[in-house]
This record gives sequence, structure tokens and C-alpha cells, in this order.
Amino acid sequence: MTTNPRTGTRDDVTQVQDDRADVRGDDLLPGPAVDARDQVVRGRGSRIAGVVITAFLGLYVIWTLVPFYIMITSSFKASDAAFALPPEGDWGGAVSQLFVFSPTTEHYRGLFAQGEFERYFTNSVVAAVASAVISVVFGTTAAYAISRGRFRGKRDLYFWIISTRMAPVVAVTVPLYAIFKNFALLNTLPALILAYTVFNLPFAIWILKGFFDSVSYEIEEAYMVDGHSRWQALWKIIPLVAPGLAAVVVLCILLAWNDFIFAAVMGGEAAKTLPVATQGLKSASGIEWGQIMAAGVVTVAPMLLLGIVIRKYMVQGLTMGAVKQ
Amino acid sequence: MAVDTATPGAVLGTPRPNTPRARRYLAPLLLPAVILLALLSIYPFVWLIYMSFHAVGLAPGAPSEFVGLDNWQRMFTDSQYWASWGVLARYSVVSMVLEVGLGTLLAILLNRSKHEKLLITVLLMPMMMAPVVAGLLWQYLYNGTFGWYFWGLRSVGLLDEGTILGSADTALWAIVAVDVWEWTPLVALIVLSGLKLVPQDQLEASWMDGAGPVRSFFQVALPSIKGSLMIAILLRFMDNIRIIDHFIALTGGGPANSTKVLPLYLYEQSFSFFELGYGASIALTLLLVTILFGKLVVNRFEEREPRPSKKDEELV
Repeated sequence: MTTNPRTGTRDDVTQVQDDRADVRGDDLLPGPAVDARDQVVRGRGSRIAGVVITAFLGLYVIWTLVPFYIMITSSFKASDAAFALPPEGDWGGAVSQLFVFSPTTEHYRGLFAQGEFERYFTNSVVAAVASAVISVVFGTTAAYAISRGRFRGKRDLYFWIISTRMAPVVAVTVPLYAIFKNFALLNTLPALILAYTVFNLPFAIWILKGFFDSVSYEIEEAYMVDGHSRWQALWKIIPLVAPGLAAVVVLCILLAWNDFIFAAVMGGEAAKTLPVATQGLKSASGIEWGQIMAAGVVTVAPMLLLGIVIRKYMVQGLTMGAVKQ
Repeated sequence: MAVDTATPGAVLGTPRPNTPRARRYLAPLLLPAVILLALLSIYPFVWLIYMSFHAVGLAPGAPSEFVGLDNWQRMFTDSQYWASWGVLARYSVVSMVLEVGLGTLLAILLNRSKHEKLLITVLLMPMMMAPVVAGLLWQYLYNGTFGWYFWGLRSVGLLDEGTILGSADTALWAIVAVDVWEWTPLVALIVLSGLKLVPQDQLEASWMDGAGPVRSFFQVALPSIKGSLMIAILLRFMDNIRIIDHFIALTGGGPANSTKVLPLYLYEQSFSFFELGYGASIALTLLLVTILFGKLVVNRFEEREPRPSKKDEELV
């Protein structure tokens, strides 16, 4: 939903945009309505343009999906098949090699046969979920307070919160490594959970504030007039920001799940996560590409599923709320 | 917020958000998160400053030795430090230009496509992939013996000798390609959101005047999406400083330091050589640049929201 905090006239704005969407045709460029366009670009030219556009979008989709395709198929190919390439320039041979092979699950079995990969998976889940829950619980109350409160230094507080989120991961790792070493937290899951919270908590506050801003204060007010306390009123409006909460949980999980640096430096063997384990397959006794691809699939698949579930909020989250959907 | 001032709370006799009574409720809501975040960001920041003036002891319980400005002096005379800034700048500028150019084009076409929703779902996919996994996957594609992209480049005659990642001339651009693959969609989606706000009647008028699609874009659409473009550019710059997973997976900084961006140099100094004091100095300079960029980003964000007016602040 598009909101306009400046005027508070969300519904009107959304309405205007919906109207515009109706007018917008299926034509080239941010152009005018269809009838106006026809006067400028006539039939044949626009058909050629249409073909060019479709071709470009098609090529872009292929460029985006080919690495996924090769990762997935290589994870199911026997090692000799995955490593074989046709002679240079033999495009026909390439096509048959890309699409025709007898699938095997040997790489997946190899991964889990070591008995450790399940543990890495569990570590990833625990670290990501714990950090997401902490961030959302603390983030919800703080976001509510920032959305509703007016106090001196609010802008500075804002800036501090968002700049924490934007800090370079390695720069944060240096002092955290020293601190966690002093507290004997290195190579434990709590160290990772705290480290992920450095980025997830400001993110949760920042995004959830946007969601609270779009809930009218009058709703809480009505509850408070009815004799509910402010805490109860906050509790009552939680359902209204529930989609935001779900989106933030998923995005926090995504950030923690995909992290490499923190886990590589502070996780050690005891708190090894999937990305570190996948990279680790490279240095251990030669490069096991088949297993790396299988590990990649195991690492990426859950996030793809989650991402599709909250597709609507993905862009908003990835842009720190700069883009509202 | 303008929304809040419009509410008739005071009239109804309930606590408005800015009264002292309301603040008693707000403080306990706000403080736990602020304290937690302070422990996780300000405390380490103070540590970082402390470390930058010390040779940090590594053995358990080993004391850190005060070395004054040694780390800082070393940094300013370290040629690799400055070279790594250069690599970072080159990498960021090239990937940013490609991502913004390609992303804007994509956004324009997406905005006109019947299959916008499906295409966006496809475009989101690379962004879900752990960057280190993306790096490993592309290392596989670039591999000089069995990599499909290596094979493709050889087959169309774009690569005469050597491997893609093994040559100092091509390694950095190969990593740029990975960044473009993973993050161009983000730029496209930000720009797309800006395009949705382009006033259609103005575009129509521009078309009626006989301006072609390109001129209409520059005259009418571009001013409207300038804000979105700026946010996209800043976010990509920040992420290029923040995330080095592609580099770790693909090259580790080589060959011949040609891909050793500054955050990677910091990583190497701190966690390969365990020069944590020196690493702290480098980290502080990186943080400084990040904070400057962050200020720009936040200013951009705030242009979309009203600043709390002086009057509001005085109410407290």
C-alpha cells in the first residue's frame, strides 16, 4: 500500500494510482495512454519495439536464471558429468549436456553422510530465528514509541539506529571479536545471535516504524477512551501491523541466514552455519563442486521459499523502507 | 507527524503522544531496544577506538600494549591501504553505473509489461541467495576447466588466453558481473517504484508535443525518479563497503591484489594476520565513510517524510 505520511491522505493517493494503472497501457516506456501513443508511434514501429522489449526481458530472465539452473542440475549430476564440457564452439553438444543427464543424489547423500551437515543446518536455523525474534520483540515496542512519541533528539536517535544497520560487517566484526573473546563467547551460537542482532534490531525498528506510522492514532485512542491502558491499546493494534511483523521476521532471518563473515570469524566449528560450511567444502581435500552445488541448493532453497511468501514486502525491506509497496 | 497533530486527542481528554503522561508509557517501550542496541554498537565502537591505539594481545588474558599512533601512522604510509581504496572505488563505480543503467532500463520495460508480477518474482531470486554461495556458484561458472561461462566466452571468442579469475585484467570485472547479476534487480525495483509516481498527464502532454520516448523519459520521467535513483545509488555504494562475500568466495583478493577492496584488506589484516589493532584503525576509517554516506541516505529518506518541526520538539 502506498502511504503518504506528509498529508495522511493515503486512501486518496492509492485511489489516484489505481486510476492511473487502469489508463496505463501495455506499451513502450513511461508513455501516455494508448490512444495518444498511437498518433506518435504507428503500428509497425511499435510492433518492432514490442519484439525488442520482449527479447530484452527474455534475455534478462535467462541471464538471471541460468546460474540457478546450473547450480541445481550440477548438484544432481554425477561428478564426471558435471565436470564435462563440450569442445569449444560446439553449441549443440552444450545443449544436450545441459539438459540431458541421469540424475543422482550422491552429492546430497555425501553431504549428509558426514553427519555434521544437519548440525550446520540447525545452527543456521537457531541463529537466524533467535536473532529475528529478539529483533522483532524489542523492535516492535521501540518502533511504536518512535512512531508515536515526540521528543528532543528523535532525529539523532533515528540516524544512530539506521547508521548502525549500514555499518560495514567487517568493521563491526573487529571489536565484537575482541569483546566476545573476553567474555568467552567465541565459537558459540549466542555470539552469532548477538552479532546478527546488531543489524537486525535497527532494521526491525526502522521498518516497523513505517508500519506504525500508517496506523491511525485514532484507533488506539478509541481503545483508550474505552478504558484500555496504552499497553493494551498497543496490543490491540498489533493485528494491524501483523503483515509488517511477518515481513520483518522473514527479512531478519534472511540477513542472518545469508551471513558469512560473522559466522566464519566467530562461529568456529561449534556454531558453524550453512554458508561457512559450503565455503568450507572448497578448502577441504580438493574442491568438491558437486557437493558445493548441493550445499548451495540446501542453503538457498529455504530463503527462496520464504522470499516468495513475503514477495510483496521484499522490496520495501531490501531498500530499508525507502520503497513502499 | 502531521497525522498525529490532526488527531483530536486533547479534546477527548486522553493522553496525546507528546504529553508528559504519554512519555511515561513511551520510555519503557523505547528503552530496552535502545539499551540493547547501545550495548551492541556504542560499546564496540568505543572498543574499536581503544584497539586502534593498541597492539592487541591475542593469547587469552594477554594484555594489549599501548602503541600510541603507530597503527594510524602505519595506515597512512601503507601503500596497499590506499591501493585498496582505489580498487573499491573502481569496483563500486563500475558496478554502480552498470546496475543503474541496466536497472533503469529494466524498470521502464517492467512498468510496461503484462507479466510484471511474474518478472518481479524472477528478479527477486538472486537477492535471496547468500552472497558467499553466489560467489562459489560463479567461481564454478568461471572455472577454467569445466565452467560454463568460461566455455561460453571462449566459444564466442571473447577470451583468448588465461582464465577469467586468474588474470589481474579480468578478475575484478568478473566480480562486478556477479554483483550486477545479484543486485541489478534491486535497482530496477527501486526505480520501478519511482516510475509508478510519474505524472501520466505530463507524459501524455510530452508525447502529444511530438517528443519521442527517449526525450519524454529525460524531460518528464527522470525528474520524478531522481529521488529513487539516488536512494538506489547510495544503497548500492553502502553495500559495496558492507559486504565482501563475493570477493572471499571468488578470489580472496588476488591475483596480485587486483581485487583486494578495502573491506577485504581489513578482513585479511584482522583475521588472517590477527593485526587487530591495525584492523581497528582501518575499520574506523571505513566507518567514517559509511557514516557520511549514511547521512546522505537518511537525508534522502527524510525528504519523503516531514521533519519534526521546531514547535513539535519544544512541546516536550
